[in-house]
Amino acid sequence: MATLHPTPLTFIALVCAALSAGILLFYLVRRPPLTLATKIALFLGLGVFPIGVAAAGNVEGFQATEKREFCGSCHVMVPHATDSNDRMSLSLSSRHARNKLFGGDNCYMCHADYGMYGTVMTKIGGMRHVWLYYTQYRTMPIEEAKNTIHLRQPFPNDNCMQCHSTEDLIWLKLPDHKAALEDVRADRVSCASSGCHGLAHPNFLPVSPGLSQGEAR
Amino acid sequence: MKRSRRILAFACSFALSAVGLMIWSLFDPRPIPVVVAMSVGQVLGTLSLLAFAYVVVADWRALTRAKETKEFVAPDKTTTP
Repeated sequence: MATLHPTPLTFIALVCAALSAGILLFYLVRRPPLTLATKIALFLGLGVFPIGVAAAGNVEGFQATEKREFCGSCHVMVPHATDSNDRMSLSLSSRHARNKLFGGDNCYMCHADYGMYGTVMTKIGGMRHVWLYYTQYRTMPIEEAKNTIHLRQPFPNDNCMQCHSTEDLIWLKLPDHKAALEDVRADRVSCASSGCHGLAHPNFLPVSPGLSQGEAR
Repeated sequence: MKRSRRILAFACSFALSAVGLMIWSLFDPRPIPVVVAMSVGQVLGTLSLLAFAYVVVADWRALTRAKETKEFVAPDKTTTP
């Protein structure tokens, strides 16, 4: 079970919820006449405070969905999350998780699409994951999931290039980078292929089983 | 009046459930609680607010109507010798 991360927004949500619940329970128990004072109190209890809870809760909820803990709360993702948490692992995901800029949000940072609608499209994709999990993978053993679950599309280099722009002189100094520059930018060679930086997550199928490793990039 | 009270009682129950769902997602931020809070929770909250608005408007209209009836009856009383 994921845990509560106390933040100012959580505190605001809890205070608003307590105030709203107090007003509503008072009304339900006492049933006072519908005077102006009752209407104002109910407006606070049914409108202002619940909206406060919803606003703070939404922001907290969206932030929670970016945490590795959230992704790892579905059992089929536990090996990924465990590998990311492993300080001794040399996988790409783990190395990025140790980077302070990624930290506990490393799943989201790498998998979120780049671009104007990236966040929205990523959230919609996340809803699809939740649906698939509860309809197909919920009872699947992890060992079976390792051979079944795969990326829907090859991992785009654009996501790597959010940070590794391919313009940096130090990056370009490496002969392999220089030689593959156009292919990397055009997504013909994947940064996360076994010939380059290796698979981001060990022991999992990289992409659709129909595609070979080379095709999968 | 009785109907308004019943609607308000439902609205309060809906709002309490909505707030409960939203708080659940804060304490247990896993996919289902978060999705339920952002969908069912918000629908219940919105419905409760709409129900409250309906009761307030209905009450205001009833009051206005009662006032108009009073004003309509009043001139008759003054003209009566």
